[in-house]
Amino acid sequence: MSDETLPQPQEPPAAPAGPYVYDYAASPQRQIVLPKTVPLPSLITFLAEQKAAAEADEAKWLKQLADFEVAKAKAEAEGKDAPKPPVRAVPRKDDNDLKTPWPQEAKDADLLHLQDCLGGKVEEIFEQAGELTCQVSKESILEALLLCRQDAELNYEMLADQTATHYPAATGFAFSVVYHLTSISRRKRLRLRILVPEGFVPESACAVYPSANWMEREIYDMLGIRFANHPDMTRILCPEDWEGHPLRKDYPTVGLGQRDISFREDRGGRLELIAMQKAGQLGINLKQPKAE
Amino acid sequence: MPTPTLTQFIVITLVQCLLVVIFVFVVVPLTVFAERKVLGYLQQRLGSTRVASGHVGVTGWMNRGMWKWGRIPVLSYWRGIPGLVADILKLILKEDVIPAKADKFVFFIAPALSMVSAVVVFAAVSFVPGVFFTFPAWFPLVGGLPVSGGIADINVGLLWILGVASVGVYGIVLAGWASNSKYPLLGGLRSAAQMVSYEVPLAISLLAPVVLTASLNFGEMSTRMAVGLPFWGLVPQILGFLIYLTCGFAETNRLPFDMPEAENELVAGFHTEYSGMKFGFFYLAEYINMTVVAALAAGFFLGGPWLLPFGLQGLLIPASVPFIGQPHAIFFAVKIIFMLFTYIWVRGTIPRYRYDQVMSVAWKYLIPMALANLLLAALVRCFAV
Amino acid sequence: MFKNEEMEINLGPQHPSTHGVLRVKLRLDGETITHCRPMIGYLHRGVEKICENQTFFQGQVWTDRMDYCSAVANNLGWAEANEKLFGITVPRRAQYIRTMLNEFNRLASHLIWLATHALDIGAMTVFLYAFREREDILDMNEAFCGSRLTTTAFRIGGLREDLPPGFEKLVTKFLAKFPSCLEEYENLLSENRIWKKRTVGVAKLSAEDAIALGVTGPVLRAAGVPYDIRKAFPYAAYAEMDFEVPTKTEADTYARYLVRMEEMRQSARIIQQCMDGMPEGPVMAKLPKILRAEVNEVYHATEAPKGEIGYYLVGEKGSGNPYRFHVRAPGFINLQALPKMAEGGLIADIVAAIGTLDIVLGEIDR
Repeated sequence: MSDETLPQPQEPPAAPAGPYVYDYAASPQRQIVLPKTVPLPSLITFLAEQKAAAEADEAKWLKQLADFEVAKAKAEAEGKDAPKPPVRAVPRKDDNDLKTPWPQEAKDADLLHLQDCLGGKVEEIFEQAGELTCQVSKESILEALLLCRQDAELNYEMLADQTATHYPAATGFAFSVVYHLTSISRRKRLRLRILVPEGFVPESACAVYPSANWMEREIYDMLGIRFANHPDMTRILCPEDWEGHPLRKDYPTVGLGQRDISFREDRGGRLELIAMQKAGQLGINLKQPKAE
Repeated sequence: MPTPTLTQFIVITLVQCLLVVIFVFVVVPLTVFAERKVLGYLQQRLGSTRVASGHVGVTGWMNRGMWKWGRIPVLSYWRGIPGLVADILKLILKEDVIPAKADKFVFFIAPALSMVSAVVVFAAVSFVPGVFFTFPAWFPLVGGLPVSGGIADINVGLLWILGVASVGVYGIVLAGWASNSKYPLLGGLRSAAQMVSYEVPLAISLLAPVVLTASLNFGEMSTRMAVGLPFWGLVPQILGFLIYLTCGFAETNRLPFDMPEAENELVAGFHTEYSGMKFGFFYLAEYINMTVVAALAAGFFLGGPWLLPFGLQGLLIPASVPFIGQPHAIFFAVKIIFMLFTYIWVRGTIPRYRYDQVMSVAWKYLIPMALANLLLAALVRCFAV
Repeated sequence: MFKNEEMEINLGPQHPSTHGVLRVKLRLDGETITHCRPMIGYLHRGVEKICENQTFFQGQVWTDRMDYCSAVANNLGWAEANEKLFGITVPRRAQYIRTMLNEFNRLASHLIWLATHALDIGAMTVFLYAFREREDILDMNEAFCGSRLTTTAFRIGGLREDLPPGFEKLVTKFLAKFPSCLEEYENLLSENRIWKKRTVGVAKLSAEDAIALGVTGPVLRAAGVPYDIRKAFPYAAYAEMDFEVPTKTEADTYARYLVRMEEMRQSARIIQQCMDGMPEGPVMAKLPKILRAEVNEVYHATEAPKGEIGYYLVGEKGSGNPYRFHVRAPGFINLQALPKMAEGGLIADIVAAIGTLDIVLGEIDR
């Protein structure tokens, strides 16, 4: 058995000197797929979708009927047996404990009261899964919060949570910011929502609810929405010099903002060699940084 | 008895110093071990049961040996003892880090100051009544000469003890200052204020025995407290004893007064930046101080160092009774051990005071109480003795 | 003649009593704190981002690792938020078991709080006593789900498995001895003069401030607001349980201590009721193999030992991953109140304030 029949051991790529920079643009985790839908719960959209679906269903049924008529006429003309009449499809019922909560029309007094007070500034009110949602126009959020805090009928004392969601596929807005209010005395919860386009600076809720301070800092840190009149609009979880806003959908799960990896501690160069080999096998580019 | 020449005197004193140092280096590790075990007992655990290192080196060798011993059930509880040797080895061999911006000289001198002031106190404390041992006649230079139980039987022993002990605070303050770091600085400041404050009631509480016995000599005072004042060695001085104990806790920086090194507030307080044997010196100094405070308490408040407490000896038990009728160093040891146990007991039981509360305890409660106690002692002296 | 300067000092991120990697920037005038600014993020792992890239089921292991001292409570909130999103009804037996484990977890978490808080103040022995009881609870966790700390105890729709045989015996044994253990802690602390000196009137936070800052949990209840989500918005089987919400009006560290001690008693009561009234039946709802969401958003809050833990989930139609996963961590919101509690106090008081807030940095930084 000669040595030539054996596969030659792979030569590790030549190890360049110096610290290395992982080329994130080339790594598979770096490739992101942006969402194509806008999963923004909304009664109006839901009703429109339902209507469209019902219309499509109806149109399909009518087409089936028409096809059947045509087929029947053709069969009669050809003297064959008449085809089976079509049966309208019934939605399949699953045997499980799932009861999807769909958006429903607002019946709760709080929501109706909000709509009465704010009038045209309320874009939408609905209930879903037992939760009250009120979407107001983005300019009037402070007014709505103030109303919720001070109105005797609403009296939402606490801002329990504030967060935002990125909708890159939406047109007209990029983020939804939600405020979860709790009324301790009335044992109720309410969600206020605004839709914010990229670059818009909504009013900070700190003036009404001081607890918004850190939550808005977190939103700024994670999604990059700045708030006007906030006492301290700085990053809270990431370091100050972090690049990008991690919870945006266009932020990769690996990569941006990560520091350069240095193998300086690796005196013998062993780890470096292994890293180079692994990178070579995976087809990842460990290229030298540009000279400063 | 021949009068020793100067050379002989110096040699004998050096021997005594050596004995004291050996005593210190035996007592301190044992106290540390006792602390581990007693705390473990208080907290329903075993305390240390093994040596730090695994299999290599001296400690590894000791560990393996002790594991074999540990098969015997009772002995397994004591497997932690070689850990003391390992601890000392660790302290000696550890890298000695000096912060870059520290004041090098003061940083170096501070632990020494702490340690020296703690050890030098023992000069005025006599451990054994009378003569400890006599050199055999064949011994060169000092043959046939007696070695007494204390290094210096000076007539202002108490002043010496208080004076030297109060130098110890400089060690802590300078350590805090020289580290050039914020937590040690806070620790140093705290200790300066605290120890200066507690010196006052401590000294006043010790004045009461002075008033009662009309002496400043350690041995003489303690003997008179025990024998000269039947029962009064403890009974009228119970207040003084409690004040002294409280101040003793504060002076040695033990819970509930461990302000300078409150580990949950100031990381490690004044010795945050210290490592190796420099830290070891602070560590030793703390435990030596504990022993000193215990020895003084035994001498002044628990009825004399070498006698049974509460004036039992001489009053109820005549000197003709063998062993317990005679002054003996063992009684001293037992009293010190009891006091050290109290230290550990308190540490396991109560939380830490806040800094301002520590100060208010000293100035608002202890000093007036100590003064009242002094007055009481003076009254006793005037009318009863 | 003398220049007065304030000293700036960093408490943490490596400090014995900041309960992890909290960093508090303090400005000191002598030992008095004039300015306090908590800085967080040293333990940020991006749990929200990770969960958005995993399926609904996979999110649970991350909730364990947020507040690792009360993993079961986090699991419960997560499971219920998902059930709300999908509209799942959980069998009654599963609800009871969940309630019981949640209360055990509350005990474990409060015991850790007691241990570390007492240690911060210098009472060392309570630390080990409390860990002794917590050990039993962790053993029960292990008997139920195989792991002790990061439990991953529940599943969406119920439980993976029923209680193991012999579990009742463990519970009965624990409940028999627990009241005497509580007494033991209280003997050491409640009437201890030094403990009271260190806690009474320290780190006050009035009810108005607490509500304005969104503070929940025992800290809010110690200010006199009887807001407990178990009562206000009952979930799991809490509607059927008979328990009280302890409140105090002093709003200081000592009041919080008393409230938490009383809460432990109430938890033991709830556990007893769960054991007594445990219904028979299945422990898992009938579900499809893969859960696919509809467009929906839910915010579900439960009462974790530290306060209100809320999960905000957005579902995308036909997707097996949450479109948005957000956690309202109680520690994160409660920590906002630290400057209010600590400013004007001494350094020793901020240690007590951090301890009494009962923070876990894994949850704050997520």
